[in-house]
Amino acid sequence: MALYIVEADCISCGDCEPVCPTQSITEGAIVFKIDKRTCTECEGDFDVPQCVKVCPIDNCILPLEA
Amino acid sequence: MGQNALSRELALRIGLAARALPDTDAKSLLNILGQCVDAPMTESKVAAIELDTLKNANNGEFAKVDVDVLQQALNILKNVAPEKVLPNVQAYQDGDMPGSVRIVCATDDAIHINGHFGACAWFMVYQVSADEARLIGIRTAEIPPGLVVDDKNVFRAEQIQDCKVLYVASVGGPAAAKIVRLGIHPMKLAEVESIAEVITQLQSVIAGTPPPWLAKAMGIEASGRFRFEREAVG
Repeated sequence: MALYIVEADCISCGDCEPVCPTQSITEGAIVFKIDKRTCTECEGDFDVPQCVKVCPIDNCILPLEA
Repeated sequence: MGQNALSRELALRIGLAARALPDTDAKSLLNILGQCVDAPMTESKVAAIELDTLKNANNGEFAKVDVDVLQQALNILKNVAPEKVLPNVQAYQDGDMPGSVRIVCATDDAIHINGHFGACAWFMVYQVSADEARLIGIRTAEIPPGLVVDDKNVFRAEQIQDCKVLYVASVGGPAAAKIVRLGIHPMKLAEVESIAEVITQLQSVIAGTPPPWLAKAMGIEASGRFRFEREAVG
């Protein structure tokens, strides 16, 4: 249970990084990335994933298939 | 004031022309113009200044300025109608320029990216590849008389929907969201730059390793981005 950032769509705006309650988002070599080991999809902190909420691009942050 | 007073109209034009020139304020342009014409300065005397005169004025202060920019400044001084100073559009057909991206610049002077998305005079459309840039369209995005549109910003964005990247001096938040929704990537510049400078920067990005979103916008297949993915893993 985690989210991931679609590399081809991320524009590296960095808006998602500070809103993550678990500090799972960092800037990678190419674009930003989400640590799937610590991402909780904001469960327990917020009703909706905060990175998805602030991301300016549609369908850029998606649930990782199990 | 007194005998040195400029007409209000000429003073305004000098101010606008100075803004079109790099590193030039109205005062320094006024000084240089003062060397080009005999005092007192009048509109008709300024209108008679030739491009070469301005270029060589003040020991060639403007000698290194792009000749198009200098001509633009001179046109402002002479009050030439802006429609007459637009550059010519070049022919372009799909497939002419492989590895290119279509961009659009919001401008009020056809030289700089100084336009506000919702109010700029022109959208200048360029097709840009690593080693070529063609001006392929100049669009006003004005709403034709009689046509009723629900949302001016959506209408304007639709006029440039074939472009992948939009350069603006400013754009409002809700308008930017509508632009993104139409698949255009808005870029707000921190300061006014010339269109030529921005195209040169973009060309160096295209020639190097474009970021994934730009590569996608250019239609480069994922296989062509292989190098990225290897890096991402490593």
